[in-house]
Amino acid sequence: MVTFMDVIERALTGQPCPERDYDLKIFSAKLREIIREHDIKCDPDNPIPSDDSLADDIFEAALTFYSEVGTYCTDTERIIKFDENEIKERLKVAPSRITFGEGIDAGTLVPRKPGGNTRPWLFVGAGGAAVSSEEILMKLVESYAKMIPAANAITTPALTTVDGIRIRPRSPLEVLGAIRTVVLSREALRRAGRPGLPIMNCIGTAQSAVALLGGLHPDFGLRKSDGYMISCLAELKTNFDFLNRAAALLSIGVPIGAIFGPIMGGYCGGPEGTAVTTVAYHLMGSLVYQAGWFLSFPIHMKYIASSVPELLWVESVYAQAISRNTHLLSLYYNYTAAGPCTEMCLQEFAAEMITAIVSGVSIETGEVAGGRYEDLVTPIEPMFAAEVALASTGMKREDANEIVKKLLTKYKDKIANPPLGMKYQECCDIKTGKPSKKCWEVYNKVKKELSDLGLEFKH
Amino acid sequence: MAVQKEEKIKKLCEAVVAGDREAAIKVANEIIEGGLDIIDAIEKGLMIGAKEVGDKFDKMEIFLPELMMAADAMQAALNVLLPKIPKGEVPRKGVVVSGTVKGDIHDIGKNILVAMLRANGFEVHDLGVDVPTSKFIDEAEKVGADIITLSALMASTLGGQKDVIDYLKAMGKRDKFIVMVGGGPTTKEWADEIGADGYAETASEAVKLALELIEKKKRRG
Repeated sequence: MVTFMDVIERALTGQPCPERDYDLKIFSAKLREIIREHDIKCDPDNPIPSDDSLADDIFEAALTFYSEVGTYCTDTERIIKFDENEIKERLKVAPSRITFGEGIDAGTLVPRKPGGNTRPWLFVGAGGAAVSSEEILMKLVESYAKMIPAANAITTPALTTVDGIRIRPRSPLEVLGAIRTVVLSREALRRAGRPGLPIMNCIGTAQSAVALLGGLHPDFGLRKSDGYMISCLAELKTNFDFLNRAAALLSIGVPIGAIFGPIMGGYCGGPEGTAVTTVAYHLMGSLVYQAGWFLSFPIHMKYIASSVPELLWVESVYAQAISRNTHLLSLYYNYTAAGPCTEMCLQEFAAEMITAIVSGVSIETGEVAGGRYEDLVTPIEPMFAAEVALASTGMKREDANEIVKKLLTKYKDKIANPPLGMKYQECCDIKTGKPSKKCWEVYNKVKKELSDLGLEFKH
Repeated sequence: MAVQKEEKIKKLCEAVVAGDREAAIKVANEIIEGGLDIIDAIEKGLMIGAKEVGDKFDKMEIFLPELMMAADAMQAALNVLLPKIPKGEVPRKGVVVSGTVKGDIHDIGKNILVAMLRANGFEVHDLGVDVPTSKFIDEAEKVGADIITLSALMASTLGGQKDVIDYLKAMGKRDKFIVMVGGGPTTKEWADEIGADGYAETASEAVKLALELIEKKKRRG
């Protein structure tokens, strides 16, 4: 069984390789070869395929691919490799259930299957979106907990300033911002009457290990029953900063989530390579960080969105590959092109949530407008996303495919120039946190559209 | 001679499009040995090939690895051809210093920009990721850069772009360089707020903007 110490040892003694050679001569070259060998082809006209053999083929391709290319450590400039047996061993013993949260707010994340009836885990919130003030951060977190009763876990926003000064990475401002994010988010959950709800992105504001470790002290409010994310670097890379987090978090004994966003158009190439790489990242997270849960967000290089037909296909096939072939606890996270309080934004959310749920994974509600704009976030989008996720649970892939195809016709042509929507301050009352009449009108309109397409809402 | 020239230029163009570094070097050497017009070879061979690659990348008909290999092939051919041209006649669009700002380790966006700039005839000095503030300025002065490009992928690392501009101002060197910013969370509003000269959402827009800004600077004198 591969241990974390084995990983560190391999990072220090593995095959030396310049980073550029890893990117171009190893990662990209091998990926192209493996896609050719397995004859994997994307069909963007059918974003949710029902062909089990395609999913299994992608899984097999990813297993071979990862055993051959491994993970690149940018600090040691060496490749950390695992053979197929080591990967399979790890997959056997990886957690098949994790309980998060405390008291009546506690819940258990379990694996799902394509088209299955298992209720999805609903990890809702800002997805780490940037907000300009502590007041907005608190009001948002409180609203998530209050307005989304089905929420299993919360994702907090990230502060961009501390006392009006813009945060700099690895600076005291980042450490202070991280601490404040935890303290304020916990208080917001208490105010909402759901103090035991887990925060699953641990500290949205902490981008560096030092800020994460600074915010970890129990006095600030993080608990062992929260979720702790560690990023993978694109593509299939890590560094000492991320491994440092793993070293600390594994020693504390908390549930680590590996998070990764392969880029379609980058080193992955097209949708086929992005799908294989997304599956390979699950293997990397499981071994390198010894992660117990996984969060994927494949993304389009040009549009910084994941709602294009090719990426919906990637989302579906990676989810089917993982859920059919492993018991890994996998969640999907999306990026819309459009911003809050627009019909397009909700249509994109709907297409993405339906695809994830019927393909066998759970969800974290994603970021809007490519996550590029400060304060472009409201509680309406995650609430809507959670409702769609529950409504599509148990739906057949074939039926979901038809609904998603119809949704695509509504927004596909606008992805290059999407409406940016409105900021939190324009959408919600800053004192009460309540969304405006306009927000509700947009929400009701798109919800009706979805009902007309055949989605049966339970909420 | 004319047929031979056209054939070599076509081969040079094809080597760039195919991302074939060895072929690009071989044809570049043949052009020199054959006494052919080097500036013509650059403008009608390399630049045309680079434009084709850039267009294909923009339409996502090819992806980052192919773009980087094409930029490599072009650079390798230029390394052979440029020393044979008198300094004043070198057809170069501009000199750029590129990097991802301090505290940010993301390199893909920056790599795309570097490859696109190189493919479009810019001389690019790539400083990599997590680049200290003063290094951008030192390198720009050392190589006589026209432009400094600052990439940032995280909302938490955007401040690094402001730091470089503030540092330039504090040293009284702000007007020496064009500063362009880009990356995931960067916006036009942010670029204006921190006093950048330009912002682009994609690498191909950045290339167009870089050309415009250099032209504007030349006109100003």
